[in-house]
Amino acid sequence: MAAVVGHCVNIESKLGVPTVPLITSEFYEQVKTHHTIQKGMPGLRVTYLIPPVWGKTAEQIRDDIVGNSPPTGKMIMREIVENLTKPLTAEEKKTGIIEQSSGPASFTDTTDHLQQMFLENRMTDYMPIILPTEERVAEMLKGTSHDPDEVVGKMAAHTAMPGDNNVEVFEHWFYTVRTVAINAVMAGARPEYLPVILAVASTGKEGISVSDNSFTEGLIINGPIRDEIGLNYGIGALGPFSQANSTIGRAWNLLSINAGNCGRVGTTYMGVIGNPMNWNNVIMAENEEASPWKPFHVRRGFKPSDSVVTLCEGWGILSAKNSRYSVWAREMDFSGTLKKIVADQDMLFGAMAVLSPPVANYIRDEGFDTVEKLVQFLSESAGGQGGFPQAKEMPPFPKGKLPQGKMPFPRGPQINIVVTGGANNNYWSYGGMAPRQSVLIDDWR
Amino acid sequence: MKKCIFLIILAILSLNLLICLSVLDHQVQAKGNAGEDKITVLSPKGQPPPIQLKPMAPRLDTLDGKTVYLINDGYLGTDILLGEMQAWFKANMPEVTAVYKMKGGGGFTAEDPVLWAEIEEKADAVVMGMGH
Repeated sequence: MAAVVGHCVNIESKLGVPTVPLITSEFYEQVKTHHTIQKGMPGLRVTYLIPPVWGKTAEQIRDDIVGNSPPTGKMIMREIVENLTKPLTAEEKKTGIIEQSSGPASFTDTTDHLQQMFLENRMTDYMPIILPTEERVAEMLKGTSHDPDEVVGKMAAHTAMPGDNNVEVFEHWFYTVRTVAINAVMAGARPEYLPVILAVASTGKEGISVSDNSFTEGLIINGPIRDEIGLNYGIGALGPFSQANSTIGRAWNLLSINAGNCGRVGTTYMGVIGNPMNWNNVIMAENEEASPWKPFHVRRGFKPSDSVVTLCEGWGILSAKNSRYSVWAREMDFSGTLKKIVADQDMLFGAMAVLSPPVANYIRDEGFDTVEKLVQFLSESAGGQGGFPQAKEMPPFPKGKLPQGKMPFPRGPQINIVVTGGANNNYWSYGGMAPRQSVLIDDWR
Repeated sequence: MKKCIFLIILAILSLNLLICLSVLDHQVQAKGNAGEDKITVLSPKGQPPPIQLKPMAPRLDTLDGKTVYLINDGYLGTDILLGEMQAWFKANMPEVTAVYKMKGGGGFTAEDPVLWAEIEEKADAVVMGMGH
């Protein structure tokens, strides 16, 4: 709904044409108290619809639009006409600047009260935090050579893809190195993790997406930094089994909540179901030493000696045993199984396979001595299969957008391979996670 | 005499007991109060930007004889919704020209400069949906 608000504000203010955005009434509070104000047009005349609209028949919608809008009680079509013709009020004609404040720079109280205050003011992830005293923050700042007052970046609850020509949907909040360090302290991070957290923060990518899809975010970490800070890329690599893995993703989330205004249910968070991976995001340090292929960051153009973090977004990662294609057999057809699973993934974020070293080595031994060859195989063979079982359940796509008779499937750069985890068995995981920016951690040491 | 000495000893013991209890109580209290000391912590918040209020477009005196663009931003079901609204205008306000348009650009948030130019030239009002 924020996109509709953004477009209508621009049409009104830049083109001088009156508008009525149509938004389902579930978003009344979000739009009234947040989006219209942030976009600089608190009086924008929205007409709220009876939810949901998607899935209703034409007959049902025909009845709805002559029914009453839930917040106002007015007949929807009559309200639209009124919103376009009723003269603007003095309040609606107001211009000027509204200054915003993020509140006091510090708080003084007992530790118990401070924990409670942070929690009640939604400055946490609802878990206890390490209270960011001046001493702890000063210690954290020793993890970087950057000036504490340096502006690291800005963040909003939704970030457009790089290069997209999109209307700005949410306001961007700014933050400094000190702000990042404060949130890192709260997350339980150590000073040596700070360059990784700063590198992530420098992208402005939110750790908690607003989307009603309940996305999760992720990091792929490569290079010497993995060993320097004790990132786990052995057994349980994607789980909470080292301080670095556990706190870096949490620091990103806390920064997003506090310095990017993300994750506020009803305004900057609308995930319908939510996602348990939002607790800490998907933190993946690659097991470069046990991988048969070039490390992920090297395939993206970095040197092996560079320490790099790559940000990802998507649905999440889960065990390949969840797939009906992944069956136990004496002779495992890993590349064949991978091909089928990849071909079943959604196009939005493509496919990401997170392979344990033994599985990656089996696939290498099948003849895929580079990831590029594997991706080529997955792209070609998936296309040859044509439609997939769930095809009939999918909503129709715009005409002319897709090859006739086939469902879309990830291919080429939409297929990504990461090698991590232990060598104690032949398991692997997969999901829809799209890599975005890769950032040099070394720039933030 | 013996009774007097006994009472003095008893008094001294009682005094000691009181002192011990007091010290013990103080120690317990000090332990309990340790977490009650106030500390100062730093705010983790970022800085929100100032908001520049933007002018709303003047409203129309009437929709009679005017062209209203019904713009679909691409969300599922919006085509049916705006189709029904177009039909409603035709049936109930035939003097209004309701034109259905699909916003391009590939995504809800994508800009569509061609459509914006067309609106500036041809549309008197816009109804856009759908925020979901």
